[in-house]
Amino acid sequence: MQPTLKSTVKCTDREVGEITRIIVDPLSLEVSHIVVGDGTGGQERQVPMSEVQQIVGHVVHLRIPSSEMGRFPVLNRDEYVTTHEVEIAHLEERLHVEPGEVLVPIPDLERNIKRRTFFTNLTHAIGILLGLPLIYPVMKYLMKPMYLPYDNRWIKVGNVNRIKVEDTGVQFKFRKKVKEAFMPEVEILKNVWLLKATPEVLDEVYKGKDMQFRDSQGSLIWTNNRAFPYVAYSGKCPHLGCGYKWRKVRKLPREIFLCPCHISIYDVSGKVLDGPAPRPLDPVPIRVSDNGDVEIIDVEFKAGVRDRIRIL
Amino acid sequence: MEPDRLVQSQPTVLERVVAFVDERVGLKTLQAKMLNEPVPGGSRWAYIFGSCLLFIFVLQAVTGVLLMFYYVPSVDHAYASTQYIIHEVDYGWFILSYHFWGSSVMVVMVFAHMSQVFLWGAYKSPRELVWLVGLVLFGIVMAFGFTGYLLPWDQRSYWATIVGVEIIDKTPLIGDFMARFLKGGPTAGQMTLNRFFLIHVMVLPAALMALAGLHIFLFRKAGPAGPFHGGVEELKAKTDYFFPRQVWKDIVAVSVVFVSICGLAFIEPVVLLEEATPDPGDYHPEPEWYFLFMFQLLRLKIFGGELGQFLGSVAIPGAFMLLLAALPFIDRSPERNIFKRPIALVSWVVVVLGIVLFTVSAVINREFLD
Ligand code: FES
Repeated sequence: MQPTLKSTVKCTDREVGEITRIIVDPLSLEVSHIVVGDGTGGQERQVPMSEVQQIVGHVVHLRIPSSEMGRFPVLNRDEYVTTHEVEIAHLEERLHVEPGEVLVPIPDLERNIKRRTFFTNLTHAIGILLGLPLIYPVMKYLMKPMYLPYDNRWIKVGNVNRIKVEDTGVQFKFRKKVKEAFMPEVEILKNVWLLKATPEVLDEVYKGKDMQFRDSQGSLIWTNNRAFPYVAYSGKCPHLGCGYKWRKVRKLPREIFLCPCHISIYDVSGKVLDGPAPRPLDPVPIRVSDNGDVEIIDVEFKAGVRDRIRIL
Repeated sequence: MEPDRLVQSQPTVLERVVAFVDERVGLKTLQAKMLNEPVPGGSRWAYIFGSCLLFIFVLQAVTGVLLMFYYVPSVDHAYASTQYIIHEVDYGWFILSYHFWGSSVMVVMVFAHMSQVFLWGAYKSPRELVWLVGLVLFGIVMAFGFTGYLLPWDQRSYWATIVGVEIIDKTPLIGDFMARFLKGGPTAGQMTLNRFFLIHVMVLPAALMALAGLHIFLFRKAGPAGPFHGGVEELKAKTDYFFPRQVWKDIVAVSVVFVSICGLAFIEPVVLLEEATPDPGDYHPEPEWYFLFMFQLLRLKIFGGELGQFLGSVAIPGAFMLLLAALPFIDRSPERNIFKRPIALVSWVVVVLGIVLFTVSAVINREFLD
């Protein structure tokens, strides 16, 4: 029979209090001591189970007279944890003492609180010491392909004899060779829009200034002359990077560049007529040989910002 | 009679195996704890969404693993391997279409789940953390949709990704870094596909499993909120356990979800467009339907220009999510009855109408483009 919490405790001569807690042995899973107190928070003494003569319901009889109670040690609560704070397998099935605090002694070696705090801090410190130096190499590892030098190759895209009418967008598709990291070189399909512009349109495009293109170090790689009649626009919409078309829409009198994504509309000079685009279409470096072959540099700018920030 | 009774009193082999395992694992207690969850005010059809989401996720994981038997995440094989799944592999079209439609239904269910919690006022104290973790899970589900969309590497997926990443790029300070990080370079290519694939099949599933576990743990810790009206006595009288009545309702709902996804996969199986390339040809880029309203929002003139774009693509969605996160801390009145919370009810209606309106206008806008 196990003693239950709150049971009355009687010595041979008189009642000495009640069971305030119960202490279990974590190995045998047996009740080892009862803790006897007056129930008002005064001194509590640990009485070994061997002193218990018999248990009758909620009354526990000890084999000693009350005068001998003083030889049992006073409970030091700090030396114990409750069964809720420690995982002891199968303890629950064996004990029938609830409700109340069931205590298990903390092992002697664990009673030095200072050392525990020290070890907690040490663990964190070691973790940080091991982890911090890893951040840099791991970030570098992940960032390897993120910032590549600009591609300043001239790419042949076709011949100007395809352009029959002035101030009209003509799409030139081209295949660009790309070699990415470990991949074999592949050709990807891209496009630019070409224009044979009248002086008025050229004026709109270049605003009277030659347009310069620079590489990542800032040195000049090419200048589009403001009087040069052929203009090539990057195929990437300056809004959020979709592809746009030269076409007629119902409401407008003449053809325009229309991006189907968020319906940005640009006139032939690349100026935004309607829609959310933050800047005009982007001219790219262009040169035309004597026999009319067109070459461009496939420059790309960051979409969605007012300024032209080169990314490719 | 004697031997007969003897046989009866002897446990069968199966019972002995169960007892053996149970003694060591504590399965029965675990099972009892899982199923004997008191549902205050009794089971309801309104509580089915969480289980549906769990179910959908499990099947997305299963179909996802099946797809990886053939799929190759490289720009020169992604498209071909997906086409191979659709056209050559037995039932490949079905597995792929199920996975595709499963994601759509998941988004619908997330929305329903969040609406239910919102309308029932179940995000309020002491369930703030359940709600917060739920919001992160919402983000993860959307991220699943976004990253998975690229994997077939056709024009549709390519352009949705291009625009999506450009939107992320608009985040102040870290936008450029995040966009390049996702793309693995200045433009989209093999590195992008690699990263999206990895995020889709490793990072997000791990995050979702961990957080869904935490979500359920916190939910069980706080206990279900129950209905928003009725006195203590009435609630007590109607309370039952999760099993069997709620489980039954959940199973019915899960079956409907399963059949619906299968139906969608049959009626509208996935068909790929041309292989991805930076030249869109005649394709008019559009994101998946659940991002359409955002897409349409960005068409508005006020969200044009540099500042407008920041507002439309980062500031407003960000502020909205922050508001949702702050909700249980702002809205501290214990009142849960939605009919006594006019601001909450009106906001919910406005948000839903807004999403519907913008989605519909995006669809109508298609006509203008032809
Ligand atoms: S990407 Fe061209 S309008 Fe948005």
